Amino acid sequence: MQYALYVLRRLLTLIPVLVGITFIVFLLLKLIPGDPAVTLLGVHATPKAVAELHQQMGLDKPLYQQYLTFLGHLLQGNLGQSYQYRGVSVSSLVFSNLAPTVWLIVVGTVFAVAITVPLAMISANRPGSVTDGAVRAIPLAGIGLPSFWVGIMLILLLGLKVKVLPVSGFGTSFGGHVQHIILPALTIALAQLPILIRSLRASMLEVLGSDYIVTAKAKGLSRSRVMFGHALRNAGVASITVLGVNLAYLVGSTVAVEKVFALNGVGFQMYNAILGRDLPVVQAITLIFAVFVVTVNLLTDLAHAALDPRVRLG
Amino acid sequence: MTEHDERTRAMAAYRISRRSMLRTGMLATGALGVTSLLSACGSSTSSSATAGASPSGSLSTSAPAGKPGGTVTIVRNEDAQGFDKTMVFSNGSIWIYVNLWETMTSSAADGRSVEPWIAESWKQSQDKLTWTFKIKEGVKFGDGSPMTSEDIKFTLDEAGSTKGGWEFINSAIKQVTAPDPTTLVIETKYAWAPLLADLACPNNGIVPKDYGGRSKADFYNSPVGTGPFLWGAWKKGTSTTLKKNPHYWRKDSAGSQLPYLDEVVWSVVADDNTRNVQVQGGQAQINENPPFSTLSQLESSGKVDVTLFPSTRTDYILMNQKVKYFQDQNVRLAVSYAIDRASLIKAILFGHGTPANSLFMPTVPFYDKTTPGQQYDMDKAKAALAASAYPKGFSTVWSAMSGDSTDAAIAQVLQASLKELGITMTIKNVDPSALHAQETDQQYEIAHSYWTMDIADPDELVQFAVLPEGGGHSFDTGYLSKKAQNLARQAEREFDTTKRQQLYTQLQKVLAESAFLPPLWYQPMPYATAKSVQGFFVKPTGLYDMGVVSLNA
Repeated sequence: MQYALYVLRRLLTLIPVLVGITFIVFLLLKLIPGDPAVTLLGVHATPKAVAELHQQMGLDKPLYQQYLTFLGHLLQGNLGQSYQYRGVSVSSLVFSNLAPTVWLIVVGTVFAVAITVPLAMISANRPGSVTDGAVRAIPLAGIGLPSFWVGIMLILLLGLKVKVLPVSGFGTSFGGHVQHIILPALTIALAQLPILIRSLRASMLEVLGSDYIVTAKAKGLSRSRVMFGHALRNAGVASITVLGVNLAYLVGSTVAVEKVFALNGVGFQMYNAILGRDLPVVQAITLIFAVFVVTVNLLTDLAHAALDPRVRLG
Repeated sequence: MTEHDERTRAMAAYRISRRSMLRTGMLATGALGVTSLLSACGSSTSSSATAGASPSGSLSTSAPAGKPGGTVTIVRNEDAQGFDKTMVFSNGSIWIYVNLWETMTSSAADGRSVEPWIAESWKQSQDKLTWTFKIKEGVKFGDGSPMTSEDIKFTLDEAGSTKGGWEFINSAIKQVTAPDPTTLVIETKYAWAPLLADLACPNNGIVPKDYGGRSKADFYNSPVGTGPFLWGAWKKGTSTTLKKNPHYWRKDSAGSQLPYLDEVVWSVVADDNTRNVQVQGGQAQINENPPFSTLSQLESSGKVDVTLFPSTRTDYILMNQKVKYFQDQNVRLAVSYAIDRASLIKAILFGHGTPANSLFMPTVPFYDKTTPGQQYDMDKAKAALAASAYPKGFSTVWSAMSGDSTDAAIAQVLQASLKELGITMTIKNVDPSALHAQETDQQYEIAHSYWTMDIADPDELVQFAVLPEGGGHSFDTGYLSKKAQNLARQAEREFDTTKRQQLYTQLQKVLAESAFLPPLWYQPMPYATAKSVQGFFVKPTGLYDMGVVSLNA
C-alpha cells in the first residue's frame, strides 16, 4: 500500500515535468534563426509562397496559440510533417528508425553491467591489491577518450585488421543485428565503466565493513554467498541510481556513436535533422529522448524504493 | 574538413546551385581545361583514371564486357529527399533517379556537348523555332510496356507545368506534339540555343503517359522508367535500392545485355571515416564523398582507387553593390587581387584544385582559358585600391556560414590580405538559412558562395549572374551591366557555335574585368571505389550511369 502511494506520487510529479519539456522543446526551436517555410520551399521561395505556407503551417498565429496547437497534435500522436522528406509524417520517420537505437541502449547497458559487476567484485574483494589498482586505473582512461574515437579504433582493430566483426551498419536479420551491435554497444559501455565500477566498488567496500556482513561471515557462510547474497545485493542499490543517471548520458552519446557506426537510428536521424533544419524531426526526437530519460529516472526511483523501503518513507 | 563541413557545404550547394540549372548548346570549340585540371590534382591520387573509364554509357565506347551479376553499395553522406523529379532539388535524389529515368538527350562525358539518347536524331526548322525529333524504337518501361512519343509529350508537359519546381528549365517550350509513336515535335517561344541541353536535364526524365494510370503521388512513391534499373525500396534515413531492369534496351559493345549489376544500394553513412572504412573493408564498393583530407591516405591503403572527376563546382566571392565601397570597380579589383587562391586550394582542397580565371568553369562549353581573371598580386591590389575612391581603406563585415570550414578558411586568408591594404574586415558567423536570407535580400556586405551545373550550357549560370530576368540579382550582388546583358542575350539566341563562342569569350572578359564576382578555384569531385568496380564514371554534372558498372571479383 505504502509502495503504491509512492508510485502514484512519483507519477503525478511527472506531469509538470513533461509539460515543461514540451514547452522548452517548442520554445528552443522557435529561438533558432531561420524560417521553416523558407527552408521548406528552398531556393524558389517567393514572398507569396512563404506567406501561404506560413498560413498553412499556422506560423502566422501568436506563439501561445502555436504552442497549444502543438500540444493538441502531440496528444493525438501527431508530430507533424518532415521538412526534408516532403509529405512524410515525422512519427513514421522516427519510429521506423527506433530499432537500432533501442538495440544500442539495451545491449550497451547489458555490456556495461556485465563488465562492471565482476570487475568491481574482484576489486572490492582485495582492496589495495595490484588487481584492485589495475581495475580502478585502466577504465579511467575511458573517461578521457571520446566515444567516437574509441568507436573508430574498435572499427579499425576488430573490423579492418582482425576482421571478426562488420565495420558498421545494422545488418538485415536478427543474427546480423547481433553481429553489428557488438562494437557500438561496447563503445557505449566502455564510456560508462569507470563511473559504474568505482561506484559499485565503493558501495561494496562500505557494505563489506558493516555489521551484518561480519555476522554473515561469523555464521560461517561461504565467501561467495557473503559477496553475492549479502554484499552485492545491498551495494547494488546505490549503483542502480548511478546506472540510471548514466543512461541519460548514454542516450546523448548514441548520436555520436550511431554516426560513427552508420547505425542509422534516431540518434543519427537527430544529427541529420539538425544539419538539414528539419525542425519537426529534431523536436520529435528531443521529446522522445527527454521522455526516455524521465522514464528511466522514474524506474530507477521505483526500483530503488522497491529494494530499499527507507526511500518510500522519505 | 569534417563531414559536418561537407554537409554544410552540400546544403549550400543545394541552396544555390539548383537555382542555377543548366542549359547546353552544341559542341563547344576551344581547348578543354580538363587535362590541365587533372594534372594539377596532385600526384598522390590516380587522377588519370578518368581518361580510361567508360564515359557514362556512351554507346560508341568500346568498354570491355563486364561480368553480369552482383550488388554495388554506394556510401554517401546524405539521404535522398524524395523522388518527384519535377520538384526535388537534392543531388542525393537526382544521382539515384537518373538510373531509373532516361532523357531524350544526354550530356557528353566531358560535359561540353549533348549527345542523342532516347531521341536518335533531330532537325530544326528554317526559323529555328520548331524541332522534330526521331525517337528510338523498341524502348520499354521497366514494367515491359512500350515507350512512345506520347509518353515524352506527357513528360515534357508535366515537367513544364509544375509550380515551385524545375518547370523553369522548360520555360522556352511553347508546345509539344506527338504526330506518331516515333516522332516528337517541340515548338519554342523564341530561338533557343540551349534546348537540347534542357532536354538532358534530369527533370525531363521520361515517365509513362498518365503515370501508367496511377496517381502522381503513388507513381513517385514507386516510380517506373526506361532506365537500366527498377525501383526497389527507399528506407528513409538509411538506404535506397534499385534493381536490374530486365527490359532495358541498351547492350554493350560486345552485345551483352546491360545493366550488368543485379542491384545498386545507396547507403547513408554520415561519418567520413566510416565511409572510407566501409569501402576498405569491402562492406561498400563506392564512396561518394571521401573528404579531400583523406585522399592520399585512402590511395596508399592499396585497397581502393581514388578518382578525381572534373566537376563544375566553382567558388566565388560575393560583394554586395548596395554597399558603397563595392560599387567602386577599383575596390572590387583590389579585393580580387588580394585573394591568395593557391593558399586556399592548399588549405581547403589539399592541393586538389586550380585557381579560377573566369566565371565559367572549364567543364562547360564556351569556357575561355584566356579570360583575364585576377590572380593573387598584392602590388596590383594596392595600386587598385589607391586608384579607388577609398585609397585609405574602410571597414566591412564578412558573413560566414557558421560551421562551414571552407567559408571560415577563405575569410581568414582574405582578412589578412585586406588588412595589408588597410581594409578592416570583421568576420560574423551566420546560420545557413539566415545567411541565405541575408544574401537574397542583399543585406550582407561580403560573403562566399559557389555554383554547380546540372547540364552543360553556361546560359543558366549567365542568367543568374548577369540577366535581371534570371532573378538572381547577379548572384545577389546587384551588379548591372548593359554590355554584359547584351552579350548574354545574343548568345542565348545564337546557334552558330563559333559565333556563340566569340560572344561568350567577350562576356567572360567583361565580367572578369569588372571583378563583380571574383572566382576562386575549380575543383574535382573525388570518388573512392573498390578495386573490383569496373566502368564507374562521373560526368562533370555529377551524374553517373550504373548501367555500365560491373564487378569483376
